[in-house]
Amino acid sequence: MHSNRIRSAGELVFHAALFAVSLVLLWSSYGISGFASLSSPGALPMAVAFVMAVSSGLILLDCWRKAERDRTRFLRDILPPAVIVMMLFITGYALLLVPLGFLPVSLMFLVLSILYLRRGGLVFAVSVSLLALILVYIVFRLVFTVLMPAGIVPEAELLAAIGQIFGGGK
Amino acid sequence: MKKTLVKFAAMAALGAVMGTAAFAQDYPAKEIQGIIQWGAGGSTDTVMRTVTPHAEKVLGGKVVMKNMTGGVGAIATKFVYAQNPDGYALLMGAENPLLYKVMGLGDIDYSEFTPINILARGVPILVANNDAPFDTFDEMVEYIQAHPNEVKFGSTGPGGLPSVVTSMIASKIELPVTQVPYDGDGPALTALQGGAVDVMPAVLGASIEAIRGGRIKAITLIDNKPTEVLPDLPALGETHPEYADYFPWGPFFGVFVKNGTPEDVVAKLTEAYAEGAKSEDFVKLMADRGYIIESLSGQEAQDFLTKWQSLTTWLLHDAGQTKASPEEFGIPKP
Amino acid sequence: MQALEYFLIPWLDLKLLFLVAAGTFAGVYVGAIPGLSVTMAVSILIGFTFTWDVYPALCLMVGIFMGGVYGGSRTAILLNIPGAPSAIATAMDGYPLAQKGQAGEAIGIATVMSFVGGLIGIIVLAIAAPTVSEFALVFQPRDYMLLAVLGILLVGSLSGESLVKGIFAGAMGLLIGTVGLDPLTAEERFTFGLTGLWGGISFIAVMIGMFGVSEALMQLHHVDKTAVKQKISRIVPNWASIRRYLPLSLQTSSIGVLIGALPGTGGDIAALMAYDHAKRVTRNPEVPFGQGAKEGLVAPETANNAAVGGAFIPMLTLGIPGDAVTAIMIGALYIHGLNPGPMLMIEQPQMFWFITGALVLANIFMLIFGLTGIRIFTKIVEMPRTVLIPLILLLSIVGAYAVNNSISDVYWMLGFGVLGYFMKSYGYQLGPVILGVILSRLLDENWRRAIISEQGSIAGLFKGMLTSPLSLVLLATVVLIFVSQTPLWRCVRGKLGLESRP
Repeated sequence: MHSNRIRSAGELVFHAALFAVSLVLLWSSYGISGFASLSSPGALPMAVAFVMAVSSGLILLDCWRKAERDRTRFLRDILPPAVIVMMLFITGYALLLVPLGFLPVSLMFLVLSILYLRRGGLVFAVSVSLLALILVYIVFRLVFTVLMPAGIVPEAELLAAIGQIFGGGK
Repeated sequence: MKKTLVKFAAMAALGAVMGTAAFAQDYPAKEIQGIIQWGAGGSTDTVMRTVTPHAEKVLGGKVVMKNMTGGVGAIATKFVYAQNPDGYALLMGAENPLLYKVMGLGDIDYSEFTPINILARGVPILVANNDAPFDTFDEMVEYIQAHPNEVKFGSTGPGGLPSVVTSMIASKIELPVTQVPYDGDGPALTALQGGAVDVMPAVLGASIEAIRGGRIKAITLIDNKPTEVLPDLPALGETHPEYADYFPWGPFFGVFVKNGTPEDVVAKLTEAYAEGAKSEDFVKLMADRGYIIESLSGQEAQDFLTKWQSLTTWLLHDAGQTKASPEEFGIPKP
Repeated sequence: MQALEYFLIPWLDLKLLFLVAAGTFAGVYVGAIPGLSVTMAVSILIGFTFTWDVYPALCLMVGIFMGGVYGGSRTAILLNIPGAPSAIATAMDGYPLAQKGQAGEAIGIATVMSFVGGLIGIIVLAIAAPTVSEFALVFQPRDYMLLAVLGILLVGSLSGESLVKGIFAGAMGLLIGTVGLDPLTAEERFTFGLTGLWGGISFIAVMIGMFGVSEALMQLHHVDKTAVKQKISRIVPNWASIRRYLPLSLQTSSIGVLIGALPGTGGDIAALMAYDHAKRVTRNPEVPFGQGAKEGLVAPETANNAAVGGAFIPMLTLGIPGDAVTAIMIGALYIHGLNPGPMLMIEQPQMFWFITGALVLANIFMLIFGLTGIRIFTKIVEMPRTVLIPLILLLSIVGAYAVNNSISDVYWMLGFGVLGYFMKSYGYQLGPVILGVILSRLLDENWRRAIISEQGSIAGLFKGMLTSPLSLVLLATVVLIFVSQTPLWRCVRGKLGLESRP
């Protein structure tokens, strides 16, 4: 078992990035209150940022020394297309959530990702997505009254209207 | 069945056309969000959840209450500020936003909001650990001056009630104490019982049960006259008249909407919450917890806020606890 | 005798009995869904039960509490996504069992052990509440700080093969926990001028991202592989195995009750500490920890349910909340016209015994609901991944949003999901990150309080630690664990563990 003596694709870059971020955080933590006192708000942040910088430095150094590369390829073993596509999907979801609203974006996300992962089957994808979304809506929106961003669907007004209909014609 | 469907479709279409623009006669046309600045189970939360169901009855609509915590309430304040001023987002908060400007927490405070109702005000009280070697205000001051920095005062950070009360006391006498910060009066009062802090300026409502149970002792009431809940406890304004000018002072709870909300909507909400504040549940809760019901609205509420902000910010500023002078924001000296 | 009468109120009234059952049932599902928390459920119930009497309202809340703490283990075992923070430790050995097709057995053990833990918690509540609450009050800031340090030492047992990567991950978690306005001074920390960061990064968002999203992304690697068929022939563990784990479960339950009773610490920390305890005292586990050791299931599940009883101890005796859920219940009692505080036990002893009775009942219902319906639950893991993964992602998003109604929590959750994915790919364990986030505030605030109380003197702090018996015991435990963790010694000697392998 010498697998961990060899470094994987992209590993060095990742460790370097963590090290860089740690240094930025260390600098930022110094800015909170400097070396004012042991009880200052910056004391613990500075200590842990220091630990992060040192440990990520050690990890980077160790990774650097490993001359051999294993046979992993970045786009095949670490970040295969399926993962990239799903990451793009969730990024798109996050960006569109506020402007379009929860319901349309979620439906789009579910349908597209199921379609992509199953390579087709529109009817199946749409029906599963609708079913799942209705369940989520009932549990989160109706029972737990979580107010998701409404966006373009005036669902609060719709709910009130439905409520009035069922509330009886008073 | 068919008729209902048609009605439903018509309603849906109407809803879509209207969007967020609501007419007051229809208000509330959908559920109203009530954003509570503090966490579930806290005093702001309890007050709002008690009064709102009664206000809902008058409104004829539903108020969905959500806790949005963080940043001493600044997160919730910013959230409501970012919504349309249509009366569908209420800010349910405490006194903290009035200190944001001088504390460097942004420049959105209650001046951007219209008060619907200042529901109630708390009375501060000075409580101490049972083993503390003093029982009265004078004994306490004497002991503190004889043992500088040894007595630990519980605090909830700069701008919190304990820091304001401590500043008030310290504005007239030497008060060399160590302030130990906690993230809320609940944890600080717990620490008081365990002896991690010796004295705690707290709101009467939060400490009353522990006093009744003999877990902690009351030193003095921070007000001008004794309270019905603890009739034997002296009031600082009576025993030490030099403080009387500061009082009545205390934390408060209020419901607000963003400035620019249509007047008739404000009127309807004001009516609803004024009615809610009269409800039996609310009156009993406030009495049990030692809060004083104010139920102020309109100009009265504005005056209350202005006076509170002027007194408190200058007090904190003179105690060196602020990041910016109240003068910068045009807050007049009391 | 009077006590027994009060105790039996929820048992004898059919309506109350039903409400406890309904609450427990709902709680199991609320707990199982990441992002829906017991805290949320109970605060919604306050509005819902506003007009009710206090008894039925409490029955529902107690049921949800008990069921919810247990429910978190479901998704932890089946999907490696803890439904609640207190189930984080459960995932570590529960999920490997599900991967081997033994999800049914794992759920069975988790259920029975939750019952045992819950029961022990309630027994302690019933017979020793005043003593335990007095003890809990003795804890000074320095003791809480030592407790946090004790927790941080868990990084040693959660790090997997590389300690230095574990240390990095733990430090990162601690740092994430400090982001936002400092709760003690309102100073900005790591906000980079963004007001959106003032509220800090929600711990639940980090948890859902690191476990839910990164796990879902990881599973995309073998999206075409059919899911493992789950054997569900043996669900109820046999008597022999229950007896075998009984000594361990007694120890871990005690940890759970005590940590649960301390105001400021709850089931999440209790479960992690119990897991670590199990790892240290179990000499020869049948299966190594982290690969499906039953002891690794027993410990956190007993501890987190024992913490429920523990959390009620300070609440019912002193009116001090033991955790977030009991804090809301105190609010509920106020709304229902009661005054929770030290006088409650004296003026209204029926409340204490009524809640104890309802807790026992909820615990029994938890056992019943936990052991039935497993078949349907295990079907979830057998669902095709092509559907399951998008659903997990959607649920993660909604869950992260629901915690504090905040869009930025969703962004953080996704960000940490992607980061977690890469960290996993390059041999980092994510457990220490979550551990760090959980312990961050406990450590930061109490360290500062301890130092401020001693007027800034380290010498004073150490003097305080050495003169107080409780602090001394805690300090000794910290030192002992630190030294006795042989892997740590070995790793420090051998190049900080980067290349050490047994």
